[in-house]
Amino acid sequence: MQLVVSQLLPAYFDESVTQVSEIWGKEWAVEKNDLIKIVAPSGSGKSSLINFLYGLRTDYTGMISYSGKDLSHFSPEQLAGYRKDHISIVFQDMRLFADETAALNLEIKRQLNPYHPPEKIKEMAERLGIDSRLSFKCSTCSYGEQQRIAIIRSLLQPFDILLLDEPFSHLDNNNSEKAMQLILEETRARNASIIYADLERSEIFPYTRIYHL
Amino acid sequence: MALSFKPIRPLLETGTSAASKWFSYIGLCLGVLLLLCSIQMYINIRQMVVEGNMRKNGFDYVPIAKNITTEALKNPEKTLFTQPEVDELKTQPFIQDAAPLIANQFRIQLSAGSLLSFETDFFIESLKEDFIDTVPPTFKWQEGQETIPIIFSSDFFEIYTVFSAGQKLPKIPRDAAVGFSFIVNCYGNGRQQQFIGKIVALSDRVNSVLVPESFLSWANQTFDQQKPLGASRVFIKTKDANDPHLLSFLDSKHYVINKEQTILGRNKMLLQGIVTGMGIFGLIVVVLALMLFSFYLQLIIARSKDNLKLLLTLGYSPSWMSKKVSNRFLPVYIFVVLVALLLTQAIQWLFYHYIMQDKPQLSPFVHWAVGATALALILLSLFTNYRMVKNQLYKLN
Repeated sequence: MQLVVSQLLPAYFDESVTQVSEIWGKEWAVEKNDLIKIVAPSGSGKSSLINFLYGLRTDYTGMISYSGKDLSHFSPEQLAGYRKDHISIVFQDMRLFADETAALNLEIKRQLNPYHPPEKIKEMAERLGIDSRLSFKCSTCSYGEQQRIAIIRSLLQPFDILLLDEPFSHLDNNNSEKAMQLILEETRARNASIIYADLERSEIFPYTRIYHL
Repeated sequence: MALSFKPIRPLLETGTSAASKWFSYIGLCLGVLLLLCSIQMYINIRQMVVEGNMRKNGFDYVPIAKNITTEALKNPEKTLFTQPEVDELKTQPFIQDAAPLIANQFRIQLSAGSLLSFETDFFIESLKEDFIDTVPPTFKWQEGQETIPIIFSSDFFEIYTVFSAGQKLPKIPRDAAVGFSFIVNCYGNGRQQQFIGKIVALSDRVNSVLVPESFLSWANQTFDQQKPLGASRVFIKTKDANDPHLLSFLDSKHYVINKEQTILGRNKMLLQGIVTGMGIFGLIVVVLALMLFSFYLQLIIARSKDNLKLLLTLGYSPSWMSKKVSNRFLPVYIFVVLVALLLTQAIQWLFYHYIMQDKPQLSPFVHWAVGATALALILLSLFTNYRMVKNQLYKLN
């Protein structure tokens, strides 16, 4: 697998941003075991980039290709396969089923392509300190708890690339570190890469490459 | 392990009213019932009309004659069919074949020999074998053969049974009629010859005394020697004796056909019109009910839009979800169509038993075509739902 990004620029951005950005309008690729940090101030298109890479939006110029195939030409079925087997994500806005329990939210993702057995959910929840919240509806959980549920959900499937969009914005340092530890363990176990996008430079993520959006 | 729909199911149960659900179920059931009943009634009418005629190999064989008017009586040849007229009949698209009934052109006397003092002038006719309902292998004659095989009309036999009582003639049971012999004397052209007539079969279709064509053509030449006369009756072979095109053609030519055999046909058109109207109405109700179902599904999708969108975002396949969402209604469809099918069966049984008084042409059970329609309806609704859900999900993606 290889994710190659070429001359990418949101359709609604001015060409001039390519002069200051290390991402927009440039050539770059994600290799195995890469830990890429993207520092992106507000309004620089951080979430747009994450959505483009995940195949949620195609309103851009340039090209994103995965294993040599243009992502914007993926059929709905190919996109489903891409998200099920090759790429995982922690959204900035979590995107959980608010009226369902945390356990059901996690099981829905786990059963799609079971990388871990069902017991692993409990084990991960214990590590992140939310095991007591598993039987509660997500709408009753705090943002911090919801963020940890979203992190565990992203680790229940096989992946080559893990996209993290401000994954610790609602967590304190202690919980962020615990979560980062778990993420790194799971990523290493898969020989996968991480693209970590955040507003500012933080030392919690041991990146191998850093880009400024 | 196969992907389970169980954890997904609650994501779609978002506020659908039970009343609207049941309303659409009942609507669909009524529509399907109307449609199935119409098909069954259509088949019933066809069976009653078709079985009412003498059919052989799926064809009707009916005799036609010319309308005899007082003017025609002055000119008897005009009551007979000429060869060009028979040929014209054969060329009509709704007539598969036509054959004239050839009559004897000489005098024939029939007697029971010395056993009974019974003697009468009589007639014989011949007809192409294909048009006769019962042709035994013994129905053959060669020159020099003394015995003439005869196919006797069942109706004539009934008349004899009535007539024999008054004339003190022996009663003959129907079973014993075949094999019954009598003496046939032929006169003409200064000659006389005696034969033995032997009944080899009874015919329900042809009201005549039929002999093999080979005998009659030999006898007409031998005892008459005149030019053959035309035939007063012609049998036609047609796919449907009640075909309106056939009936209007015969009317235009002033040919007469057995009214009893076509009265059903004239009523059939009216009845089939009513039943077709009923069927169309049923079809409209089915379409409306299916639309109602479709709207109901669209409503579920619209209400669960966010959940469905998130499932697709997580990597669930739109085809898999379409299949699962549309299959959720499979038990409902099967149940609704089965109820309609059972009601149709009950109506057919009541119709057969109480209205048609167990008429043998009909069956107390629904025709296979009705069952096939029911199955087709289930498959059609599943397919249309699947397509609709898939389109909606693709739009969400």
